[in-house]
Amino acid sequence: MRQPSAGEALTSVLSAEYAAIYAYGRIGVRLTGAARDAAHQAEAAHRRRRDALVVQLTTAGGVVPPDRAGYALPYPVTDRASALRLAAEVEERTAAHWRAALASTTGSERDQALAALVEYAVRATRWRKTAGVTPLTVPFPGRPT
Amino acid sequence: MVLTCPVGMGKTTQRDQASGHSRRKLLRAGALLVLGGAVTPLTGCDLFDRDDQPPPPPDPLRPMVDESLTLAAAYQSSATAHPELAARLNPIAEAHTAHARELARVLGVALPSTAPAAPTTAPAANPAGALAALRALEKTAQQSATAACAAAPAERAALLGSIVAARATHQEALK
Repeated sequence: MRQPSAGEALTSVLSAEYAAIYAYGRIGVRLTGAARDAAHQAEAAHRRRRDALVVQLTTAGGVVPPDRAGYALPYPVTDRASALRLAAEVEERTAAHWRAALASTTGSERDQALAALVEYAVRATRWRKTAGVTPLTVPFPGRPT
Repeated sequence: MVLTCPVGMGKTTQRDQASGHSRRKLLRAGALLVLGGAVTPLTGCDLFDRDDQPPPPPDPLRPMVDESLTLAAAYQSSATAHPELAARLNPIAEAHTAHARELARVLGVALPSTAPAAPTTAPAANPAGALAALRALEKTAQQSATAACAAAPAERAALLGSIVAARATHQEALK
């Protein structure tokens, strides 16, 4: 299989970030207290990465995919438990897109992808801890299963 | 002319001093040569081994196999010392073993059956100390994997990225 270019990989990451931001909108309203604050911080982190990617892709003259009005969630978010489960899953999925970008990038772009992979993997672990789910970690964060 | 004369005289004086230093330096150098001759006879053998092919440079992933196995061993000894932590530590030990297995597969080498070196220190007597020691090990290991990922060819970058991230999540899980 042909290695996607850095631009293609980052375009795919941007679409994943759009979906993560949408999902956190559904997640946050089902949480309270510290968990809700954590969801808002997580959503803000995904927005920052989205904004940076839009600038980056635009500057490079690449295609900036449009955001969509809605994204299909893997299951309905109806309560705290399903919200926390989806939050961990959103982090793992976006981490997987950044992980895929590692092979297509070098230098500072690879550093950027690795920082996002690490941050999201750690946040997925925090969400599992909040949900009381074990094990807290996966052996290969971001690797397709 | 007025200036060159005193300068020339100054030079003469300095030359005398310099030659004094030179004699001392020569004596010291001689002493070093004697010492060097005493401690480095083995390096002389290299002079006669020029026909040998230089060994291939070691694969940078190779030390990471050992590092992963050493981490797994550190978790196992902490879990043995503190059985109440075993449920938390065992999955992480298994993750490190899985990393070693995957790295060995990429390298095309057999996975060593045991860690290259037993953990250098015994686990701390109290559980909190043992967890803190493991966190410190993970932090160092995350840094070495980060450097390896940054320098890796494309086909290895994703695997190394996952190992970096795993080591970061382990620190979080140990908090």
